[in-house]
Amino acid sequence: MSADSGQIKAWAESHVNADPQAILEIAVQNFPKLALSFSGAEDVVLVDMLSKIDPNFSVFCLDTGRLAPQTYAFLERVREHYHVELDILFPDNAAVEQLVKTKGLFSFYQDGHQECCAIRKVEPLRRKLQQLDAWITGQRQDQSANTRAALPVVQEDGLFSTANQRLIKFNPLSHWTSAQVWQYIRENDVPYNELHEQGFISIGCEPCTRAVLPNQAEREGRWWWEEAAHKECGLHASHHGIKPR
Amino acid sequence: MARHITFVKKIKADGELCAKCQQVSQQLETAGLLAKIDRIVIADERDPETEGMRLAAQHAVTYAPFFIVREDDGQERIYTIYLKFLKEVLQQSVSQEAENRAISQDLDFL
Repeated sequence: MSADSGQIKAWAESHVNADPQAILEIAVQNFPKLALSFSGAEDVVLVDMLSKIDPNFSVFCLDTGRLAPQTYAFLERVREHYHVELDILFPDNAAVEQLVKTKGLFSFYQDGHQECCAIRKVEPLRRKLQQLDAWITGQRQDQSANTRAALPVVQEDGLFSTANQRLIKFNPLSHWTSAQVWQYIRENDVPYNELHEQGFISIGCEPCTRAVLPNQAEREGRWWWEEAAHKECGLHASHHGIKPR
Repeated sequence: MARHITFVKKIKADGELCAKCQQVSQQLETAGLLAKIDRIVIADERDPETEGMRLAAQHAVTYAPFFIVREDDGQERIYTIYLKFLKEVLQQSVSQEAENRAISQDLDFL
């Protein structure tokens, strides 16, 4: 099934403060070609929630080849804990080989993460999303006041939709805070990545992720060497009293 | 009704036009594509009442620049990735590789 723009907006407005489970129900009931993207971090709460709603749920992870050992161990724990088949996606090996051959293993520190991410992350993700009508992410508004303050619980995916494929993106944790996520993890005995015990909040590839200090924004732990340039693209509407929908 | 394209540019809190918006403007002009843009609207971070800021809030957009494309049937599509807009709307040749690089900045949750 698909849903038109009006339906997507209506769901987003009527579920703006709804429980994540209610949003997941909509996704499961309306989109047979649906999958959850699991990063190996706090979004594990969605694995837990979805496993209780739809035992046959589909979940995928991007193995960039540069994840931390703790993340690989965690993926295995999740597989065993939930008896779930994790669809692990790998980048095109020829593209990775070419990048490493010409630029080495750490070119992102010199000329930015985009080239490496495009090969190791975006291409396999694009390949996967072409098979789906909708996907579920663990994105939250509180992850970045700069670029995510207006994130709705459901939206048309502006990045991966094409003229031939309209893709819907569900963000059931959009309005949850990190504190709510961790309360859920504790109350439901949800397994978590042990890197969280070492000060990591946002967890991506090992060379591009670092622990943050107390009260430091979680995105400061990702691609920190190029943060200043990235910030400029944000529109700071909420800082000026506009409450985005 | 013909397709209608709105280009939203940002003025930063310090009063300067954002560098990315300026770069995109120049690229459109150099490529002779500026004439295909029907309206250019400013989102001034110092004034939430500017049309661009209102449009950003209305469409839940938190990046600049962005484009609003209204099709003949009234459907609107938002483009926050310039290269995607260039390829899909202005029918320009853009490699998948280049588009993937541009998209990567949005995938910090994976």
